[in-house]
Amino acid sequence: MILVVKPQWKAAIDFKWIRDNKDAVALNIKNRNSNANLELVLELHEKMLAVQKEVERLRAERNAVANKMKGKLEISERQKLIEEGKNLKEGLATLEEDLVKLTDELQLEAQCIPNLTHPLVPIGGEDSSTVRKMAGTPRDFGFLVKDHLQLGKELDLFDFDAAAEVSGSKFYYLKNEAVMLEMALVNWTLSEVMKKGFTPLTTPELVRSSVVEKCGFQPRGDNTQVYSIEGSDQCLIGTAEIPVGGIHMDAILAETQLPLKYVAYSHCFRTEAGAAGTATRGLYRVHQFSKVEMFVLCRPEESESYHEELIKIEEDLFSALGLHYKTLDMASGDLGAPAYRKFDVEAWMPGLGRYGEISSASNCIDYQSRRLGIRYRPSEPTPAPPKKGKGSLAPTQFVHTLNATACAVPRMIVCLLENYQQEDGSVIIPGPLRAFMGGLELITPKST
Amino acid sequence: MGLQCYFGGTTIQTLKLAAIPASSRFILKPISKTLVLNPFSRHNYVICPQRNPFKLLVRALSATAVQTAPITESLDNKVVKPQWKAAIDFKWIRDNKDAVALNIKNRNSNANLELVLELHEKMLAVQKEVERLRAERNAVANKMKGKLEISERQKLIEEGKNLKEGLATLEEDLVKLTDELQLEAQCIPNLTHPLVPIGGEDSSTVRKMAGTPRDFGFLVKDHLQLGKELDLFDFDAAAEVSGSKFYYLKNEAVMLEMALVNWTLSEVMKKGFTPLTTPELVRSSVVEKCGFQPRGDNTQVYSIEGSDQCLIGTAEIPVGGIHMDAILAETQLPLKYVAYSHCFRTEAGAAGTATRGLYRVHQFSKVEMFVLCRPEESESYHEELIKIEEDLFSALGLHYKTLDMASGDLGAPAYRKFDVEAWMPGLGRYGEISSASNCIDYQSRRLGIRYRPSEPTPAPPKKGKGSLAPTQFVHTLNATACAVPRMIVCLLENYQQEDGSVIIPGPLRAFMGGLELITPKST
Repeated sequence: MILVVKPQWKAAIDFKWIRDNKDAVALNIKNRNSNANLELVLELHEKMLAVQKEVERLRAERNAVANKMKGKLEISERQKLIEEGKNLKEGLATLEEDLVKLTDELQLEAQCIPNLTHPLVPIGGEDSSTVRKMAGTPRDFGFLVKDHLQLGKELDLFDFDAAAEVSGSKFYYLKNEAVMLEMALVNWTLSEVMKKGFTPLTTPELVRSSVVEKCGFQPRGDNTQVYSIEGSDQCLIGTAEIPVGGIHMDAILAETQLPLKYVAYSHCFRTEAGAAGTATRGLYRVHQFSKVEMFVLCRPEESESYHEELIKIEEDLFSALGLHYKTLDMASGDLGAPAYRKFDVEAWMPGLGRYGEISSASNCIDYQSRRLGIRYRPSEPTPAPPKKGKGSLAPTQFVHTLNATACAVPRMIVCLLENYQQEDGSVIIPGPLRAFMGGLELITPKST
Repeated sequence: MGLQCYFGGTTIQTLKLAAIPASSRFILKPISKTLVLNPFSRHNYVICPQRNPFKLLVRALSATAVQTAPITESLDNKVVKPQWKAAIDFKWIRDNKDAVALNIKNRNSNANLELVLELHEKMLAVQKEVERLRAERNAVANKMKGKLEISERQKLIEEGKNLKEGLATLEEDLVKLTDELQLEAQCIPNLTHPLVPIGGEDSSTVRKMAGTPRDFGFLVKDHLQLGKELDLFDFDAAAEVSGSKFYYLKNEAVMLEMALVNWTLSEVMKKGFTPLTTPELVRSSVVEKCGFQPRGDNTQVYSIEGSDQCLIGTAEIPVGGIHMDAILAETQLPLKYVAYSHCFRTEAGAAGTATRGLYRVHQFSKVEMFVLCRPEESESYHEELIKIEEDLFSALGLHYKTLDMASGDLGAPAYRKFDVEAWMPGLGRYGEISSASNCIDYQSRRLGIRYRPSEPTPAPPKKGKGSLAPTQFVHTLNATACAVPRMIVCLLENYQQEDGSVIIPGPLRAFMGGLELITPKST
């Protein structure tokens, strides 16, 4: 017997649309290397509809029987009706149980179906991602460059060894100017994004696991990126996208409230299970870090333009810091379930000798809002003749959601240290950050 | 909606590198027993991860809410093996048992001194016996080296075998005794400074009173109402997303948090403290070594599923761990750190009116000071730390009192503790905003932090290599420079105006782009 796990929550999936567009959905599942079982979803949906219909039919019959029993009846007739009513009730109970099981199973299978894909997204694996923009050029050093770990050691900026004893690998202490650099990056980024009309937030870093799932992540399972709290349904967040996404859960917003634009500062925690290889040294891949995240809720017809706005904000920030980077339009196989389209920014990291991801901007259209239950009511209902009394309300629609990294601090520190190092071992602080560091212009080696 | 204020060019002028001394190192600070956010510290902050093996180890360290049976009363009489050993001076305890017993009583501790002394005696006896048997076994082994008759050799082999078995059993007993002794002894609270008032929290004395309560002339609002009207927090959404006692900060409250952290770091750095950020996930053994108890009912500690890690309740813990098992050079001392981190507390067992809004929350930002120093200097550093705190609070214009906490309210690690309580007009009483503890060698004996004095005791000049002075345990201290939510409560409630706006204290304005006033938003 297959035990169907009861889903904690239900996504408002448009099954009819999926059925009517099954070929496109199937192709999309394939392009995204997803495990979703479309055939099973359609099958379960059919079964569910059939059982639902039968349940309704039996209910109608039971009501009819109940009505008949209201009148004056002979004892034998009444007895027969009672018998019939009882059979119907039992049959109904079984069917209703089946219906619940089917609905649950359908929900679980359907939640696996990834988001649609923007028509301009390149189809294929990560090598198919295309370059949207290239900014700056790699710096020509003229001396042997050091990586951030070596610079950090010489400038007494981090301690990974003590952290390994206290907490484990991939943890670290920031020290001295690195602390000031982290504060400056966060403060400056918040300040710049606020100027663009985003509401600043700090968020809880412990959230219910259901919220994590509704955002499109999977907290349970092998190689999960999510830390769970013992004896609780809470998890640590891997990104502020999750608690911010949860703010308007199960709400109906007024159209005039949109767009809602948030910029959130939080710590983030990731297990990094399954991440191996050279790109795990130092600050490049860590279990805990500070991040400033942008999150937008908007009307469907505007999400594409907000996606452009978000990537522009990111690019302006990175250009202001003097970084050399490229913006990629991520291929279908590299999107991840929630994103309709995703732009990643990879900055040149001379110590690593390659580009490394420093940010990601995704348009999730209605994938998250269908799970989080975030709707809005358009102000103007569809044109109709004037009515007397109360006007009719337009039906609600799902908002579109977008998220984008404004600043992932450790990766930025890697970039700044490696790109701005001098031959004498000091590191120049980029112009925009100096005011946030008390005017400091240079990080210099300490006298020992 | 969107704030037009932003951090301007005058932000953080004072974060000058000149303040960072060349010899800055991580200094382990004594772990303050009391969590700053726990004004009703009837029970000490016991951080206990919910890990099974040490369930029985959880012993209330002076008047804690965690009351569990001592290890020896376990159902199956199995002694749990301690993960680590504290370098406890048993000889000293034995020689001063009356003072230790009185101290245990004064601190409302559950420690079982009689049992500790008893186990110690037994352990010494078994140890002696073990050494005796080892000597005999060595003697037998030596005899067997020579030329012997077969019958003699046979006898010796027999004897050697018996000795070996007897030794194995005794050594096993020794290990068990040592473990049990360790577990019981770890419960003994720190000594108490002679000037500490003896008694419960009502016996705490006032060291200093600064400022006076503001005379408002209008009906004051509490921070929750101000926050709602000024659109500064959201507790409702957080309750849905995370649970009660979680919150989002919004708009100027975000700027206020950043300003408080930046300004505090800046001010404390000027005093020669090395700034740090720390891991917020640590191994549970480190939590214990700092004097907290992660496992047990009503633990304040969140544990990670499937791991030996916990979330920190204070940066004292990861900073304390930096120099674990190290021998520092005397010239490295003092080590003075100021650490910024998020802190997480379950607040299990905390009930009543003082749980509204930002006063008691599960997650918050805090700037913590931690000092490692030579024993003869800890008292003066304790004075230095409390002075730094008082200067910070005075600079923000707060009205507060500094208390010398009574023996029953100290918590196991502290030798002496000063708490600062600020006037919160919305609450209508004083609320704890910080705590400064001198833990002397309590934490260093557990964390294994020693130093080697530069000058060995005077002795006639030797040829060749000079002799090294024996190592000693450092003293550790910790003090809250800024616990953000409580500060936000203070600032909002004290600086509110009749029209509903809130004045921003002078020192913070530069860190908020020059913002002087938080005003109600147009709806």
